[in-house]
Amino acid sequence: MTVIADEVVCAPRAGTLYDVLDLILDRGIVIDVFLRVSLVGIEILKVDARIVVASVDTYLRFAEICNRLDLDHDSTSRTVPELFGGAGSVGRAGAKKAAHSVGGKVKDALGISDGHDDEEEDRKPARRRSSAKSSGSKTRSRHRDDEG
Amino acid sequence: MSIYLYGVTRAEVPVPRDARGVGDPPGKVRKLVAGDLAAVVGDAPEGLRARRRYVQAHQSVLLAVAAAGPLLPTRFGVVVADEAAVTARLHADAAGYTSALERVAGRCELNLKASPVEAGLADLVRSDPRLQRLQQESRRRPGYDVSIRLGEAVMAGLRRRAAGAAQQVAAALTALADEVAPGPDVPGCVLNASFLVAADRVAACRAAFDSAAEKLADRAELRLTGPLPCYSFSGLPAPAGA
Repeated sequence: MTVIADEVVCAPRAGTLYDVLDLILDRGIVIDVFLRVSLVGIEILKVDARIVVASVDTYLRFAEICNRLDLDHDSTSRTVPELFGGAGSVGRAGAKKAAHSVGGKVKDALGISDGHDDEEEDRKPARRRSSAKSSGSKTRSRHRDDEG
Repeated sequence: MSIYLYGVTRAEVPVPRDARGVGDPPGKVRKLVAGDLAAVVGDAPEGLRARRRYVQAHQSVLLAVAAAGPLLPTRFGVVVADEAAVTARLHADAAGYTSALERVAGRCELNLKASPVEAGLADLVRSDPRLQRLQQESRRRPGYDVSIRLGEAVMAGLRRRAAGAAQQVAAALTALADEVAPGPDVPGCVLNASFLVAADRVAACRAAFDSAAEKLADRAELRLTGPLPCYSFSGLPAPAGA
């Protein structure tokens, strides 16, 4: 559990997508003369993008945390909430924070450079049917393979 | 061939050769020079959507270019009919783009988001007479309506507490920033604000944030992201193409 505690101090950096999605989709210059894809279309699409990005980031956080947990038993027999429940000394808030910052680190590691690795990482955690409960407000609804 | 637009920069700013742009497979990124200005562009992919990988590619290209020189990032999803339309636009408002680039030169954006946390709920209830009253009422006569009212009041209290903590951090960052801009409303956030910060002050901002965020961790979840391209500070001085 000390492993998780160590991670709490890390902060998400520029590589994270989730926390900058609103800026990428809502800010930045737009000049009407330029537009062929209508903004209306993007408005609709970005709702979708938020769901996909949020859920994938959540999976990545869970996956990373699970990978760091030192378990005596086969992890496939446990659900994510059970893993957090079993964390004992690490409270819910601590796990949540760790989840968030670890997610940031994962994104940093995936980097802003390599789309294929990114995709590969995206799909693995998505197979796990993780319950949203233990991640509290950071978890958004799950979304299937729309990411493709 | 329609053109995907990443942003506008100065003509001399290099675009990394190995940049992987929006598209599947990732599109090439090139520069269209127009006088002292240049547009960072690529071929627009068929069926452009706000896919995760595309949005990530957009952001990656912008981060790479912004690391090399001043950049006005475009919002994700701007597509232009052809190259001539891009360069014509840059020529038409060259002064506006030039001054917008001066504003962001040597600076970057940091984004602060804050959300409520549930820690210390007992303290919150103790410190709020209305919450105490609702809690007692709820215990005395349990029911749906009183539960809803209690829950609403607790949520409002958590948000108020988080917003107060967020304001403290925002004030510390504002002192170090050249400009501040509110961000779009984001579900679950009590504060979303961006700061235009000189490159040599980013470390100081990070340090100020870290110490404040740690102190306030029992009141708000605080997240500072950046350095980012200056999404929130790239508006042209005068409305273009009116």
